[in-house]
Amino acid sequence: MQPMTPRRILGVCAILASALFVAMVVSLRLGAYPMSVTSVVTTLYHGAIGQMDRIPSDFRLVIFGIRLPRIAMGIVVGASLAVAGAGFQSLLRNPLADPYVLGVSTGAALGAIISLIVAPHVPLAMQGAAFVGAAATIAAVYFLGRRGGQLDSATLLLAGIISASFLSAVIMFLMTTLSGRDLRGMAFWLMGDLATPPQISISFLFAVMIAAAGAIYTTASDLNLILTGEQEARHLGVNVARVKIVVYISASLLTGLAVSVSGAIGYVGLLVPHVMRMMFGSDYRVLIPASAFGGAIAIVLADTLARTVVAPTELPVGAMTAIVGAPVFIYLLRRRVR
Amino acid sequence: MAAEGPKVRKPAPPAFARALREKGNGTEPHFSRGAFLLEQDLLSRRFSGQKIGYLALATAAIVSAASSGSANAALRTSVRAPEFVTPPRANAAIAHQAADAASDSRIVVDETGRYVTVPADVRRIVSLAPNLTETIYALGAESRLAGDTDYCDVPPDARTKPHIGSILSPSLEAIVGLKPDLVLASTTINRRETVDALEQLGVAVYSTDPHTIDGLLAGIEHLAGILGIAPQGHKLVARLQARLAAVQTALAGQPRSRVLFVVWDDPLISIGPHTFIADALQRAGAESVVETAQNWPHVNLESIVHSQPEYLIFVGDHGDEIPTLADLRARPVWRDLNAVKQGKIAVVSGEVDRPSPGLIDAIENLAKQLHPSAFANSAAGGAQ
Repeated sequence: MQPMTPRRILGVCAILASALFVAMVVSLRLGAYPMSVTSVVTTLYHGAIGQMDRIPSDFRLVIFGIRLPRIAMGIVVGASLAVAGAGFQSLLRNPLADPYVLGVSTGAALGAIISLIVAPHVPLAMQGAAFVGAAATIAAVYFLGRRGGQLDSATLLLAGIISASFLSAVIMFLMTTLSGRDLRGMAFWLMGDLATPPQISISFLFAVMIAAAGAIYTTASDLNLILTGEQEARHLGVNVARVKIVVYISASLLTGLAVSVSGAIGYVGLLVPHVMRMMFGSDYRVLIPASAFGGAIAIVLADTLARTVVAPTELPVGAMTAIVGAPVFIYLLRRRVR
Repeated sequence: MAAEGPKVRKPAPPAFARALREKGNGTEPHFSRGAFLLEQDLLSRRFSGQKIGYLALATAAIVSAASSGSANAALRTSVRAPEFVTPPRANAAIAHQAADAASDSRIVVDETGRYVTVPADVRRIVSLAPNLTETIYALGAESRLAGDTDYCDVPPDARTKPHIGSILSPSLEAIVGLKPDLVLASTTINRRETVDALEQLGVAVYSTDPHTIDGLLAGIEHLAGILGIAPQGHKLVARLQARLAAVQTALAGQPRSRVLFVVWDDPLISIGPHTFIADALQRAGAESVVETAQNWPHVNLESIVHSQPEYLIFVGDHGDEIPTLADLRARPVWRDLNAVKQGKIAVVSGEVDRPSPGLIDAIENLAKQLHPSAFANSAAGGAQ
């Protein structure tokens, strides 16, 4: 295997970026409102050169008002979840770690729901509460998952599963206090749903996502060393405590961000880093950007499926990722064992 | 994945770590692919990724600084800015809008208190709720109904309209594609998020928010006015009110029937006081034996045995989805209910929970089942 260089990373990113572009075009083309590839391209072209008034108003609404924002949300959510997954996997030194499996998504959802009940109209309250919920949950899971001072893989996963089920019970309890109309929205959101545009601007979400992913990336080569063992990494001059804090906060932030936008979407944080490892190796310097692109592709495609399978009715994207993700994950596990 | 990568295989990182310690050799380690597929290049620090990470942080800072301004500009120009935000903030925007829009549109307040800009001539309506679809048909405005949901089945002709998806997750683009002048939503069944999203796209959404039968009737009349068919609305509501009054007359002097309304039989779910069904029961000369503040309470069957309702009321349009009397007589606890022993079971159509004109049919039907004697020699309740 050739050494890791910026050029190789850029190459990987270029491949994945073009794959993402293809996914975006497919997603822009498909939907309940029929559009030909030509009209999509023409609409995008006129949009890009600023001649909005030359586009038929329906196309404008469908492409720029509905599909593009939704794709952008999918990219933010997918990239956040996948990078958070990769981060948690390194933080806990457990390849099965994932925001959903560890109950972190559920914690973020609980935080978001509490904020919706307590302070429904405060800007950023929901995002902040989701972050706090995510951070508190991963801290709890981390301490519950330790055995004799060591992180035990099975104990950790069990702690995550127990936390998730405990937190869902609290969510169910809180949801019974909500009125019917809020409840319907909430139940949908919990399954993972991209149909609802967020209340804050998408570019702000992008910025937070890039910042948190960038923060994790600053520790990429240290994470590689930590994988071999914390003791060993410490001997090699890695400030393990600092790295862990950075990854811990950033991954929680990413999870909170994703959950506040789209609810709890499973399997992306788990599967995407795995697939990327198989394709491009487990070096975090390439794994983090690859996971970000891979997660974005996964969610954009899953959401396109969710929008079109039983169109015009839309499925929650979380149901889609689970339907596709769970069998793929089992397949990967089995193949590995062999 | 076995094709590439290092040749040395060790099972897992801990084993590798042990090996590293035993050899006391940190510079030329044997790598384990283990769970993490570690690579030989791992310890090379030639390129650490730190710079790229910091670059990303800087980019993020720039993007977030720019995000408030220009980043969304393209989108904002492409989509009409949201015109009907929540009432307190909207006033200025609306005054502006009204000046722009000359006389061919009006600003109305819907039942949730939102301001909605409605064209003077509403030609294309999309209904997001079965009860509203039914209301449109009852008003005789079905030719203007451009689309409805997959679940709009009353009257049967509603099934032939273009569908925009399910009630809870309709397709926004399907709605937009129908070019509606006005979209109708109901708080009893739609999600607020759907209404918000449509408003952000510049689509006029009128939400109804009925809580009682009187409110429902007033709402129908108001909606008819907005659609420009006030006389039809007035006629329809007057007719419905007359039918309700006829039921009241027929029931005069009848004692209220104590009933258990079965929304779901296993687990037993009944109704609370703030539902349409409670109002309908009351108008049909009945009252629920369940005392609760919840709208859809889970009820312990034992407590029903204790209060012994005179009638059990099931909801069913086709009869196959509800248990038969024989079923109930075979079930423990249920068979101890006097109503089951005496066969006093009433079945009412699903319209009973639909805030639409069909609700009046359901009330008439229920009143006749519960008080057959009151309607025995009177034609009043049987009009229509």
